[in-house]
Amino acid sequence: MSRILPRPDNVKRPSAAVIGAGNWGTVLADLIAANGHPVSLWCRREDQAREINRRRTNARYLPGIRLHRNIRATHRIDEAVTGKELLIVVIPSKAFRDVCASMGPLLTPDQLAVHATKGFEASTHCRMSEILRQETCLRQLGVLSGPNIAPEVAQRKPAGTVIASRFPAVVQSATALLVSSRFRVYTSQDVLGVELAGALKNVVAIAAGVASELDLGDNAKALLITRGMAEIRRIGTALGALPETFAGVAGLGDLIVTCSSPLSRNFRVGAALARGEKLPEIVASLGMVAEGVNTSAVANEIMKRHSIDAPLFDEVFRVVHQGDDPSTALERLMRIAPHADVR
Amino acid sequence: MQWEQEDRLSADMVARVVARKVAEAARPGGRPLAEVINESLYHERERLARQGDGSGVVSSDSLFLAAIRKELPRAGRAQEILLLTRIVERYAREIGGHFNPLVYGLATRAIPVGLSVVLSGLSPLRALRNPESLVRLSHQVTLVGDREWLGRLASRGTLVFAPTHSSNLDSVVMGYALYRMGLPPVAYGASIHLFNNPIIGLFMRNVGAFAVDRRKTDPLYRESLKEFATLTLESGRHGLFFPGGGRSRSNRVETRLKLGLLGTPLSAFYNALAAGRPSRIFVVPCTISYPLVLEASTLIDDYFQEAGRARYIIEDDEFSQVRRWLDFINALAALEQQVVVTFANPLDPFGNDVDFEGRSLDPRGRIIEPERYLLSRGTLREDRERDAEYTRDLAHRLSASFHAHSVVFPTHVLARAALRVLVRRFPQLDLYRLLRTLTPDTPLQLPEVESETVALLDRLQQLEADGRIRLAPRTRTGSGQLIHEALRSFGSYHIRPVVERQGSRLTIGDANLLVYYSNRLDGYGLAGDSSLTEVPE
Repeated sequence: MSRILPRPDNVKRPSAAVIGAGNWGTVLADLIAANGHPVSLWCRREDQAREINRRRTNARYLPGIRLHRNIRATHRIDEAVTGKELLIVVIPSKAFRDVCASMGPLLTPDQLAVHATKGFEASTHCRMSEILRQETCLRQLGVLSGPNIAPEVAQRKPAGTVIASRFPAVVQSATALLVSSRFRVYTSQDVLGVELAGALKNVVAIAAGVASELDLGDNAKALLITRGMAEIRRIGTALGALPETFAGVAGLGDLIVTCSSPLSRNFRVGAALARGEKLPEIVASLGMVAEGVNTSAVANEIMKRHSIDAPLFDEVFRVVHQGDDPSTALERLMRIAPHADVR
Repeated sequence: MQWEQEDRLSADMVARVVARKVAEAARPGGRPLAEVINESLYHERERLARQGDGSGVVSSDSLFLAAIRKELPRAGRAQEILLLTRIVERYAREIGGHFNPLVYGLATRAIPVGLSVVLSGLSPLRALRNPESLVRLSHQVTLVGDREWLGRLASRGTLVFAPTHSSNLDSVVMGYALYRMGLPPVAYGASIHLFNNPIIGLFMRNVGAFAVDRRKTDPLYRESLKEFATLTLESGRHGLFFPGGGRSRSNRVETRLKLGLLGTPLSAFYNALAAGRPSRIFVVPCTISYPLVLEASTLIDDYFQEAGRARYIIEDDEFSQVRRWLDFINALAALEQQVVVTFANPLDPFGNDVDFEGRSLDPRGRIIEPERYLLSRGTLREDRERDAEYTRDLAHRLSASFHAHSVVFPTHVLARAALRVLVRRFPQLDLYRLLRTLTPDTPLQLPEVESETVALLDRLQQLEADGRIRLAPRTRTGSGQLIHEALRSFGSYHIRPVVERQGSRLTIGDANLLVYYSNRLDGYGLAGDSSLTEVPE
């Protein structure tokens, strides 16, 4: 059953806005644009919006990439979000709530949103979908997450991702806008699992950076990935996620790429720590946000609260937040009493 | 004319359910009607086998099923629709057969009078002539809520009251509470066996109730029931249902709510919108708090029996024994204890707060247009998965409201404290073995229980300060006085005192009831939850 309401509505055709013009937000906007859809891209700074509109580049975050002309950048949030069918929010966890709060008064209940931020809010431990729920009237929400190193996708290399939502309209709308012959989309209903998989793997990525810098070899890396996955799944299922989510593209898929690619920010943080650099300098020199640093602290709180045993997460926390020496941490990990592999 | 209305409600229900099934069957890959009918026959046969009374008398239900079964294999499409219609019509008669719109209109008067009859043991005629008998009830029930706000919303839309469910007395108490709040009468789904209850059955038919048979597992029956409930709301009648389903066996404040019935306000909202005559619907969470519960013994025993899971309906509990009713009411009166009914802030069908005028508000208090939750590209669109999610959100809001407005009585505090002391003393035992170990000779030292009570009260006061629970006035008088009050309550109504004092010791008279009253404080993150939830599935 379907009828036109008496009140006319400004949403007539699929339209989208990407909120946040960091590297991943910009790439997502570019994917949508290349599929032939007009897309708004909200930038925090006006000069960045001007650069994207005039020069079709986003030099700070995606050097050397030419952006599609269907992208319309703006630094005005009202212009970006008003009347859009789908919002894709890609804002670092630290600023996520503020941006949601500024969108709040502009949104209507028929709008859909997914976010693509892999982290928790530090002070509240909220997931990003929870923040969207708290700050806006939106209900039809989802998450996009997967093995997506932004520069690779920007160079049109093949990749895939997961869009998870309990609302079919969200999955359909986001998929229709993003899917192409170089970008596959898998769907899921496990919003919680996909959010946790994406956020938690950043902690393991820091360990992978350490392992790589200490030149521990590929055997060690495989160990790190599988044991890391076991811990992620343990934490995730304790919070109510479906265990199978962690074996999928957003789980194992994302973990593998993050632990393998030296391009990943969290990996770079780990490598720098292993070289003996200090956290504040590392973060400053990165120029972008490494969510794994904050997620490590949040995960530690969660583990305490739920009495979850996750030695790898423990050690990353001690190295990142308590200044422990990475080699000592590694030794401690190796000396854990033998136990069953798969439980 | 009133009777025509009633017929129309049932007829509309049948028409909608049958039309939906026919449309679903016509869809590619849809379920054929014959399959729907067969499933219905299967569930009904199973039910009759379960319910079999062994008398060997063939019921009219079996005859009906046999007739349908016989005709089904030879039926063409038109004939199948007819058979389906006959099944749904039969359900309609049962569900709506007791529902009388004329009485719905009179219910405001019928309920309180009926109540006072029950509660005072007067003859109905005397009660009708003697309205003072109502006074007695008013001493026993405390009402909390914004009557001006709710009255205003009742005049602007349809109200659906959603109370917690501890006792069959709830229907009676809610009827009285609505009357005292000056709120309109409600149509509500009452368990079919209440219509046969010797005490309450007489006026069940007179409160605008329609019959719900929870033994019927046929999905077609459930769908019919939901459709009937939706139609009563669409017709502008205010409604009431218990979203927890049956009474809380464990006495925990309900968290798992029945999403089927909870979805009816949204369905009614949607249907009205689709028909071009939008209407407002408000869901009012209500919390009913008892210091003692009439059927506590039966409920907790049932909860502890695995077999109890299948025992949806208990026909022989305290609720059908006049004597227990009178004991209960007298106990409450003697204790000067109150049943507290709280009407909490109303919600829209999506679980949003509403303002004084009934406008929906987003989580930051901004006015929003709720109908937009049902639009897709500016067009109203049906989407069951989406609506199920909205209903889940509503359920969360309701459950949170139930917890926040639940009133803690001395009985709950003492039961919890005593149980905590016992659990600590026997750390190696799970709850089951602990209960079996306890005897009246298992002593509890009063000072130990008292210091546990002090600690628990402290936590409860913090929760209250955060707006997450309410404390009854009698819990504020200090732990000694609280324990005294609780012991008095525990000794007054239940056949064996739940806890008794002997000098400086306490003894447990009924360990199951101890768990029952303690359970009311589950789900608040207080110490002791996990050890209490270890009940085998």
